[in-house]
Amino acid sequence: MTRYTVTGPVAFGDWQPGEEFEADLDPELEARALERGSISKGKHTRKKEENGDAEADRAN
Amino acid sequence: MPKRIALTDSVKIDTTDLSDFARQVQFTSSDAQVDVSGFNPTGVNEYLSGPRTQSVTVDFYGSYGTGEVHQTLWPIYKARTTHAFAWRPDGSTAVGVNNPELRANVKIYDYGPGAQRGSEDSFQVTFMSADSAGFDWFTT
Repeated sequence: MTRYTVTGPVAFGDWQPGEEFEADLDPELEARALERGSISKGKHTRKKEENGDAEADRAN
Repeated sequence: MPKRIALTDSVKIDTTDLSDFARQVQFTSSDAQVDVSGFNPTGVNEYLSGPRTQSVTVDFYGSYGTGEVHQTLWPIYKARTTHAFAWRPDGSTAVGVNNPELRANVKIYDYGPGAQRGSEDSFQVTFMSADSAGFDWFTT
């Protein structure tokens, strides 16, 4: 899962402008959406964050 | 579903919500009518359904800002990209039996924005079905 933010002026999928979301977007869809500014890409989220592996998380 | 005035429709192109930039949607699904008539006493033609062609034409307002109409459609057309299309009558209500969503993987074969002095900037784009799944109505 990757974290994204809707940066464009319109909704992306079911997410509204300014909203953050986590999704597994198709790589080509992601590239197009990033290119046109619909979304920005944040850090990868970790399923095992509760293990305290924050150091590796920050590296992302 | 009762009669309605089309006001709250949802139009999504490549997952981007372009509803506010669209003012008309027209879905067309048409089967070729293949004449298989033979000699017969009544002289009436006989037909079979042939290939099906499906498309949706949308009237868009020309808008050139980040993530808006042009920045969404032009790269898709330029790269000949297959992308997702979705339209449903009420964008404020979830997809359901009474609010089905028309979806397909589509391509754009023509792209031609324009302008006329003193008039709103708008143009039509036709989205053609890009794979054998075609357009279909979804209730979930």
